[in-house]
Amino acid sequence: MGTSQRIRDPLHDLIKFDEEPFESMLWEVIQTAPYQRLRRIKQLAFSEFVYPGATHTRFAHSIGVFHTARQLMQIVERDLEKVDRWKADRARVSIAAALLHDVGHGPFSHAFETVCEELQLSTTKHEERSASIIRNTEIGEILEKHQDRDFKIDVASLIAAGGPTDVYSSVVSSQFDADRLDYMRRDRLMTGTQHSEIDYTWLVENLKIARLRSGIDDEPTDDIETFVLDQKAYYAAETYVLGLFQLYPTVFYHKATRCMEAIFTQLLMRIGTLVKDDDYDNIGLPKGHPIISFFRNPESLENFLELDDTTFWGAMSQLCSAPDECVSQLAGRLASRNLWKTFDLRLTIEKRLQGCEPDAVERTIANAQDEILAWSTDNSANVPRAVLSSTKRDPYKVTPISASPLNKVFIESGDELVELREISPVVRAAKTYRLNRVYYADEDNEALRQIEKITESCIREQENGTV
Amino acid sequence: MAQSRIREFSSSATKIVSDADGEVVGRTRIQKMAYLLELAGVGDGFKFSYKHYGPYSQMLAESVRIAVLFNAVTEEKHQTDWGGMYSVYRASPSDEVNAVRKQILDVTKRANAVQLELAATAAYLSFEGYEDAWAETSRRKPEKAQHIPGAMELYREISSLETPNGWPVVN
Repeated sequence: MGTSQRIRDPLHDLIKFDEEPFESMLWEVIQTAPYQRLRRIKQLAFSEFVYPGATHTRFAHSIGVFHTARQLMQIVERDLEKVDRWKADRARVSIAAALLHDVGHGPFSHAFETVCEELQLSTTKHEERSASIIRNTEIGEILEKHQDRDFKIDVASLIAAGGPTDVYSSVVSSQFDADRLDYMRRDRLMTGTQHSEIDYTWLVENLKIARLRSGIDDEPTDDIETFVLDQKAYYAAETYVLGLFQLYPTVFYHKATRCMEAIFTQLLMRIGTLVKDDDYDNIGLPKGHPIISFFRNPESLENFLELDDTTFWGAMSQLCSAPDECVSQLAGRLASRNLWKTFDLRLTIEKRLQGCEPDAVERTIANAQDEILAWSTDNSANVPRAVLSSTKRDPYKVTPISASPLNKVFIESGDELVELREISPVVRAAKTYRLNRVYYADEDNEALRQIEKITESCIREQENGTV
Repeated sequence: MAQSRIREFSSSATKIVSDADGEVVGRTRIQKMAYLLELAGVGDGFKFSYKHYGPYSQMLAESVRIAVLFNAVTEEKHQTDWGGMYSVYRASPSDEVNAVRKQILDVTKRANAVQLELAATAAYLSFEGYEDAWAETSRRKPEKAQHIPGAMELYREISSLETPNGWPVVN
């Protein structure tokens, strides 16, 4: 008779892995080297440079997602057993996928994906790497040994699919998934920020399963089952949607965090370029260093699994002394948190064009970004003198084009199911959050002058109606 | 967003709509059209990665947004019978279109949206090294598995077109 395994977690308190075969298998997966590597990848990457407490890891988060997925799956089981549609094997695939969904993250998570995209490496997304790790490492061997080959492939495919296909996979990835339900609460706890609190207990208590129509573009597909919320959780649902939305500007997209990411991205891109040019001596690292090995053969899963946050920080002193000026400058900035200055392009243009139609503001921003980028390209040696940082976040899919019901939040309203956005004036009124920033070196006064000059010129073009 | 000039890419997005006789129905459809053009070697340089609906280019999505913003493309949004919404993009039709592009756009324009999504997904997975791309497509999209035979037929039609790069064999 074995004993159950227990983990003490700062968010969920006690997380238990039962001694029955399935959860024992998952416990065995956690003991593997590719899984233990997640202890060395921080969940929020560079956010600790703004929120010093945010040093929690992908390891703790992933186990929290498993725990949450197991809770959500109990609701699926409760409701689908009543109508004889419960599929225990499908549920096991999803719970294993919840535990493993982040195993393919590289150092500093999403910043590393940006590097891979910019350098056009073939595998860029962590979901694809997670799937590859499940198929091709000891993790897959354990899944295959205790279940079968199809189980291993199904777990990998569910993660690689990148979105929900049914209510089981929606537990792993959807508008209301275990991933978000863990990271929203964990990131809030560990950063110490006091907003964005959600009523998790009440949300889960009011969850149920319903069938809804689905489709793609103008073509309908079969009806699907999805999570919906009881009317009593209406305000909890609003808080959930808006709380997530507020974490983006305050935590995930904080200008200092994004600046560190931008410096890291430029540094790794420079190293990648030097490796491509066989210019190893200028990087400052031995030729066999894991960072160099990765760029020499990015297809190798073995090389990828050698990388984590500590590989990078461990190389820092050597990178700071690199013969290549670009590498040493950028590494030096990261080592001493010597950030670039931020020019808030969007804020500047929005203030000046107050009262103009929103599209006019967007056109001016697009023009200014292109001009700034052109100037930087023409006037930079190695490190770009102006680095653009742009992104957006919808509070909720404002224009739900092709959005499956699995990616929406539905509330029971009498005998009807209504999408939250339809009945909540607060959610409906929340606009897409967009950021458009330009980073430049604080000592580069000319860069700032040029950025300001280009921005001013684009604003005037708009004011004069010449855009 | 990548350090690329978005206005240049938005012209390429406009060109896809223009080359498709000036009209494309659906955000998913324009993504798959653009992907198949890239795969065939007659594309515009958009980079694709895997998303929920198959091959997807963030740069293309942003380029379409910019093209609409600058009125090079118009976007009409319609409610569907199934409760979602879809977009219709329109631009001035091109006077001259590369013959291979024209053939690919003709086939993909009239294709069923679900079958097109599945065919582009299988082609993407095959190109990325999956030996059982149809089976993997089916595993990733089990709710659309009944459309796989139609998608296979569509891919046979697409891959019968002669192109500079040829087409991946999808098993």
